[in-house]
Amino acid sequence: MNRLPSPALSRRGFVKAAVALGGASALSACLAREAPDLPTGPEDLSSLPDRQHAWNAALPTDAHGNDVAPRHRVVLLLDYARDGAPTDADRETTETALRSLERAYPRSHDDEVGLLFTVGYSPAYFERFDEALPGSVDLQEPRALAPFEEPKLDRPDATVHLASDYGSVVLAAEAALLGERDELNGRPADASLDGVFELAERRTGFVGTGLPADHQDVAGIPDSKPVADDAPLFMGFKSGFRKNQASEERVTIQDGPFAGGTTQQLSLLRLHLEQWYDQDSRHHRVATMFCPAHADEGLVEGTGENLGDASLMEERGCPMHTERDARESGVVGHSQKSARAREDGSPVILRRDFDSTDGEEASLHFLSLQRGVGDFVATREAMNGTDLAGGAVGQRQNNGILQYVTVERRGNYLVPPRRLRSLPPARPA
Amino acid sequence: MTGPNTGRRAFLSAAAGAASVGLAGCSGLFETRSTRAPPLVENRPDAVYVPSHVEGMQMAGTGTAGPYRVALSYSYPHRFWLVTGTDVQRVDIESDDTVHLMVTVWDAETGVVLPTSSVSVEVTKDGETAFDRPPWPMLSQNMGVHLGDNAALPGDGAYTATVDVDPLGTRATGDFAGRFDDAATAEVDFEFSQSTLEQVPFRMLDDRKGERGAVDPMAMEMVPSSRLPAADELPGRLLGDAESGDGRFVATALPAPPAGVDGSGAYLAVSARTPHNRYPLPFMGVSGRVVRAGDTAFDGPLAGTLDPDLGYHYGATVESIDSGDVLGLEFGAPPQVARHEGYETAFLDLPPASIEVG
Repeated sequence: MNRLPSPALSRRGFVKAAVALGGASALSACLAREAPDLPTGPEDLSSLPDRQHAWNAALPTDAHGNDVAPRHRVVLLLDYARDGAPTDADRETTETALRSLERAYPRSHDDEVGLLFTVGYSPAYFERFDEALPGSVDLQEPRALAPFEEPKLDRPDATVHLASDYGSVVLAAEAALLGERDELNGRPADASLDGVFELAERRTGFVGTGLPADHQDVAGIPDSKPVADDAPLFMGFKSGFRKNQASEERVTIQDGPFAGGTTQQLSLLRLHLEQWYDQDSRHHRVATMFCPAHADEGLVEGTGENLGDASLMEERGCPMHTERDARESGVVGHSQKSARAREDGSPVILRRDFDSTDGEEASLHFLSLQRGVGDFVATREAMNGTDLAGGAVGQRQNNGILQYVTVERRGNYLVPPRRLRSLPPARPA
Repeated sequence: MTGPNTGRRAFLSAAAGAASVGLAGCSGLFETRSTRAPPLVENRPDAVYVPSHVEGMQMAGTGTAGPYRVALSYSYPHRFWLVTGTDVQRVDIESDDTVHLMVTVWDAETGVVLPTSSVSVEVTKDGETAFDRPPWPMLSQNMGVHLGDNAALPGDGAYTATVDVDPLGTRATGDFAGRFDDAATAEVDFEFSQSTLEQVPFRMLDDRKGERGAVDPMAMEMVPSSRLPAADELPGRLLGDAESGDGRFVATALPAPPAGVDGSGAYLAVSARTPHNRYPLPFMGVSGRVVRAGDTAFDGPLAGTLDPDLGYHYGATVESIDSGDVLGLEFGAPPQVARHEGYETAFLDLPPASIEVG
């Protein structure tokens, strides 16, 4: 934690490097660079949404109406310090610490994200209760989801996902939660999670124009500095088109005591982009990321900004032609396959993923929200395209972007509604 | 990641030193590098042709992974061609490439070489990663079916290659049914030295280059050949053969489908192979149509399949196939396999073909 990034880095580069390092000295250096001019959050929290995952209203939108993801992220994986059922005192401390974050930072300010966060709990956490989760919650143990992946399975008790357009804000919020600072944005921190939870792991990252290009000097990306300056993600293409995202309503649990909650799956995907950038053609990259029709017809310019608010899947008949493309074109696209899991043309998962250089390796923290984990499993199975493999298309080769991605870890969590976010029981009254 | 990069640069500066020695002495690395990427043959035919040169390979080592045997070998870095649909992309040698790294995977029991596209290789030296990616499935005139990519190995020394073989992902039949359903990992330790690489044979083919034809398969110790059986050695009743895009398509019929294929009736197998060397043409889209006295008796896709006796082929269950039937073959995607020189212009445009069943 005492190695600071070189000041010669650009501002955005410096901030991202500081987020990855973490710690008090990184925070102070980062604060000095960014000097965020944010007011404090509201003292009266009654207007905050009950859905923890209701972030979209606080996100800026781009010229096409797409929500723009917060640029800096930290995910904390936490273990509850006590065996057995949580105590009311621990619940109280947790809730006070979380409210302290909400009072310290606005959710948004001047078209920028101040601080957004969610808290989730794993199947391992809920094992401590005598009763199982209600049937209205589809929370499954993580597992391998393809014959060609062997992920390690994450089983911490809880996870906190912190997001801001300012690296210094996610770092400060993290430090306050961990009990490493007692002041946030000029306001005292009322409590911390120290003593209630133990930190098992932290993951960091970033998403948005310019950040991947600034951080491409890592394993998995060739030395030729191929990531475009305007790329929002390492693979060089835009994602998160409005029409490719499930609505917050679609991913919200509708019934039972956890109504208003959602589920979160978090995978760690390592990227291997040497061949992608140094050997593959642009035609191949567009065909495998989007759809062969997009490559044949030249539909994607640059990062795909020209596509507007949709990746033109249904419009070009991509999902319905997947099998034919596998046989006739010998290649199928990632978006094309995934779109097969849509319901009446609408996606069932809401992506809130981000890139990372944790461990000096190019990777993607694939974080998605869905009403039940089964929705993610169905989307992932469609994306695997195992049904398409065996002929011209291989299990991974020419089969979307599977060849460039290794699934290292998977974990699943219940993100309860805000009223139950602090150490919830399995069967709330 | 600074380790391998530093090592790579260090190796390159050593190579630069060797080059200046080479200039003075008319031998050494500089000359080696320039002559080992000779210009492409002009006016290449849209067919299999004799390449500008032929090179041997150096075996690094072999290992066992579940039901698989794997061999790791290397040669000089060289250009190759990737195929996505009908889009062909030439991959040139990068300035820091030191070898062309190759992996061959075969069934330990039968020695049948597996056309697979799902293998990942990590090569480390002194704990630092020097190569970490899935090599491309490839077709070479003297090596046949293998996986390969150019690699930048950081100098002489002891290396370890970890080879992850995914489940085959191709329908497997007969005694192969169920055999390749699990992933497995092999480790191969090997010594690499530039001087060993320099001893790999390299021969220009100036008098034959560009002619239609192919160099002969290389005899490889320890590694089985990926050649398919000759037409008259295939099991079943030989139905005939056809040509398309310079590929050869031999059709045979088994009286019943092999284990691992549902349905009853006869089994139609089409063995797609290169001319001259009889290597399989994997990862194609193939459909078959059986016309009997003007009526269609079968019309459907033929699935890429691996069988211990037929080898890699495209097959489907048909009710029957008789004398006088006409078997029509249509091709979707051409073989989605990377090509070494001499194969990159062939098997791309595949017009329909037909076989009259004798």
